[in-house]
Amino acid sequence: MEPLGNATTTARNQTATPRRSKSYGYSRRSLGVELASRFGTTPGHLTAVRVTTNRGIPKPRNLNDQVDPEHIALLVKKEWKLSYVTPLYQFRHTQLKSYSKQLATFIVTEKQKGVAVEIGAETGFKVVFTALLGLAEGEDAETVFIQIYSKPVFATNGEAAKVVWSGWLSCIAGEADFLRSLPPDFTCLPLFGASGAESLTALVKSWFGKTFDCQFGPLAINSTSLQWLAALWTACNPDVNIRYLKLAWIIPAQPPLDVSYTVHSQDAWELWNSIQQEGGLKDKVDIKEVTRFIRGLESNFFCHFRIHLSAGSLIKVSTSLGSAHQDGKIRISSSDMMRSILSLLTECALLKMPI
Amino acid sequence: MDDSAKQLLRLIIRRIPSNKLYSTLRKWEHLSKKQFESLDFTQPKWLICDNLLSLCEENDLSAKHVTELELIHRIEQPTQGAWHVCQLIDAQEEALTSDLLQFRESFKLHLKGLISHVAVKIKKHEDDAIWIRIAWGDNFTKPNHLKPTYVVHHLQTPYVFLSGLNVKHKPLLHQALVLATHHESIKDVHLSGRCLTALRDLLMRQYKQVFPVKHPRPLQERSPLLTHPNIENEHAKHAENRLQMASEVFGDGTLPKLETALYKLETRYRGKERGTMGAREEPFRGVVRFSSSNILESLKYCTSSGMAAAPVTPLLSSIVQKGRNYFVITDKGPGLSQTPGPKV
Amino acid sequence: MVDLKPLKREEWRTPVECLKEGVLSHLNVLEMEALRLSRKQQLSLQQQSRVDDLRIMVEKLRAQRDHLKARAQSTLSLQQLKAMVGQRKEVCDDDADGDEEGHSESLQLHLSLLMAKRAQVKDLLQGHHLIGGYDVTEASRGKGVCVSIATAFQGHYLETYNLELDVARTVRISRHNIPPFIPLEKLAQDNLQTDLREFLGTLSKHLNAFAGRRQQVCLIQEVLKGSVEVMESNALFNMVVLMCTEPGQKGTAVLCTLEYSDLTRFLPTKVVIESEDKTLPTTPKWKEHQSLLLETPAHTVLQALKRKGQIV
Repeated sequence: MEPLGNATTTARNQTATPRRSKSYGYSRRSLGVELASRFGTTPGHLTAVRVTTNRGIPKPRNLNDQVDPEHIALLVKKEWKLSYVTPLYQFRHTQLKSYSKQLATFIVTEKQKGVAVEIGAETGFKVVFTALLGLAEGEDAETVFIQIYSKPVFATNGEAAKVVWSGWLSCIAGEADFLRSLPPDFTCLPLFGASGAESLTALVKSWFGKTFDCQFGPLAINSTSLQWLAALWTACNPDVNIRYLKLAWIIPAQPPLDVSYTVHSQDAWELWNSIQQEGGLKDKVDIKEVTRFIRGLESNFFCHFRIHLSAGSLIKVSTSLGSAHQDGKIRISSSDMMRSILSLLTECALLKMPI
Repeated sequence: MDDSAKQLLRLIIRRIPSNKLYSTLRKWEHLSKKQFESLDFTQPKWLICDNLLSLCEENDLSAKHVTELELIHRIEQPTQGAWHVCQLIDAQEEALTSDLLQFRESFKLHLKGLISHVAVKIKKHEDDAIWIRIAWGDNFTKPNHLKPTYVVHHLQTPYVFLSGLNVKHKPLLHQALVLATHHESIKDVHLSGRCLTALRDLLMRQYKQVFPVKHPRPLQERSPLLTHPNIENEHAKHAENRLQMASEVFGDGTLPKLETALYKLETRYRGKERGTMGAREEPFRGVVRFSSSNILESLKYCTSSGMAAAPVTPLLSSIVQKGRNYFVITDKGPGLSQTPGPKV
Repeated sequence: MVDLKPLKREEWRTPVECLKEGVLSHLNVLEMEALRLSRKQQLSLQQQSRVDDLRIMVEKLRAQRDHLKARAQSTLSLQQLKAMVGQRKEVCDDDADGDEEGHSESLQLHLSLLMAKRAQVKDLLQGHHLIGGYDVTEASRGKGVCVSIATAFQGHYLETYNLELDVARTVRISRHNIPPFIPLEKLAQDNLQTDLREFLGTLSKHLNAFAGRRQQVCLIQEVLKGSVEVMESNALFNMVVLMCTEPGQKGTAVLCTLEYSDLTRFLPTKVVIESEDKTLPTTPKWKEHQSLLLETPAHTVLQALKRKGQIV
């Protein structure tokens, strides 16, 4: 398809110096049958975004060279509730200051409309939009970070305003063909993470919706993506010690049974390595290998407990680097691997997005 | 009544839920009938507490009496903390005949012989269980009533249920228990949970077990019938077999409420991906944790529904048969061996 | 005249329509209708009878199946096997120089003998159970047996306890529902490996005695409610303290402590009578009661005393 234009070019050129093109990322293969069986959704939007069946093994790199460490610190440690966002219309990275003011005003007005008691406790919301430069690559738009500060009414003079909510919109290693195919004036930042009061999240979403004509929707992380995360995390164990690989399933018994299996990092990696060695390609991971890895863990479990974990569903994956829950909650505990997790989630968000 | 006793009473009243306050205070036999009736339980808690404090002053009650109130409350609400179980080993002849009076005296004597500042309150509950509340101090400090240890024991049985015991006091309590119950030693049975009655029922086998009999009785009402009679017939037979098997392992009726079971696996890799893993000598280390509002019910359901393959692995059946929920699994010997648990 | 061909569906008309065309044609239509209906009725009757036939057939086949099943089972019955054993014996005697065929036959014979023996043992067990012995069932697919021990007191069946034994290598108790205060471990150490019958016998004695002691306490609480009070008892019911009252104005309270040191018996080994009135336990009347309590179940003694007015 002929690219209709590049909405993000302007923004990116103004905010970041051009970087080398993708050094790692996805090589894609069309899936056909598997696609439909995996997602069972209308094939319409899948023509735009394809499902990845193999990925490069991420080499954990020191992001500090490219991204301001303070910016990285903003993303690390917090638990984020994810949503997908449809492309933003007429969003400009140059206007962040003005957006800050607009959002603050919007929140105050909405709060006044709503419960009067709350406004008594928290006057003056301050909003700060920041562009986290350096995370994006290729066709991606730069990640935008939002913080909402609030100062109690009776605060003493010296008391600093506290961050009561933070969130971000991101696009890491988004499908280049898809990004190019967007009409001009659209910026695609499909992944939205929020941490803070639900009511504030709702306000921020509604402001974005009104201002940039976009829509938000819940982003669940399906079990295939969780399996990918488990495998990618395990694969990088020799470089960064993941300490443990913990998988959690829920079995639909009555009452429901939660099963968690925590495997020693070294042993998990050896299992992974034994599967990879047979695979041939050392720097690429195929979906089949991911499946075999998880089956390998499930079958070891079965040999001990004779319970079919496949009867239930995988709901959570965690290592010392971070965790991801099926309900769309993630935690990134270390900047190593941050980019690969975000790129995987970007892909999930793009797939989920109704275009 | 000194300040610490007053503070303790306030704390205890705060802990007791409003709807239980009446019944708990009724069981506390340190107020006269008239005094008890003078309390208005429709009032807010702090007001009741104030009135109660003045009544206690009137009756010249002390911290000792206040701790009794806490003991009563704890007996009524046994699920407030985590319990773990110990087993007394090698009973002496006297163990069969000891009664509450002897036990009370002997226990207090032995414990106070080991540690000077300790406050012990012993009460026999309706179900013949002996409840012991111990507030620990040390050589220089008074007993701390805010963090007491609770012990529950049924005389003539080898089991002791403990809650809120710290490592420092463990050897002291163990020794006093061994001596007072006329046993040789005591050990941990690796069983823990929040529901005291469940732990007791499991170990004392007070839940409905199912044994193979010549004429199996119908176990329980089956799920709604399928529509096709032949399929139904086929399925029913399988379902019945599975249910019978699950019931023989886990029991029938209401099963003891255990919340977790933990397995530390130190066994070789046994899964499908044998490749180089199959030849690996070192164990494939991992920890498996099952949790549910009632794991025995959940596991039974897995077995009877076919989500777990037959027969039930000894790892799971050991929860009920050995009465424990923490295991370390190693490869020693043929099959899967477990660390020694309580026998028979 | 109207054509007599049966009307096609689209040609049907309501009788009212037909009425306009004259009475004859109307009658004709009615006749047709009647014919059609009767044909339909016949057809459905035929179908019904066919269904009935099939149903009967199914019943027949079911009965036949059950019959065959029963026969298949009964062919293994003891009598037939014994007859078979007899026959084979004759054949073997005739054919002294048995070659390969003889060998396979002797194998067959051996198998049959084993089956016969098994059936015999089963019958014996059944008989044993009927006269109040243990019930033994195969458990864990042949690797173990499940023994049920029924308890009874004074002709009333009480609880049944079960014991699953693993007999694959050494005899081992795999699970049971025997209360923890029954010294099962000690009994197992004594006899489980060497003399299973003795082990089960002693265990049964323990369980019956326990059930008996407990039943006595239950009966006292039930029947002598308001008269005799159970002051104390323990899990094993080997120490029971009862309180009753002497009749009369003073109403002296009397404490009877029953101690059961022999755990295989439901009668006490020691009875202590205590009272505020120190002379009371030494009176001949209470001496007699004391010795009665040593020989007769407590609830019977106390009931008798109450009837005679010796206690309130």
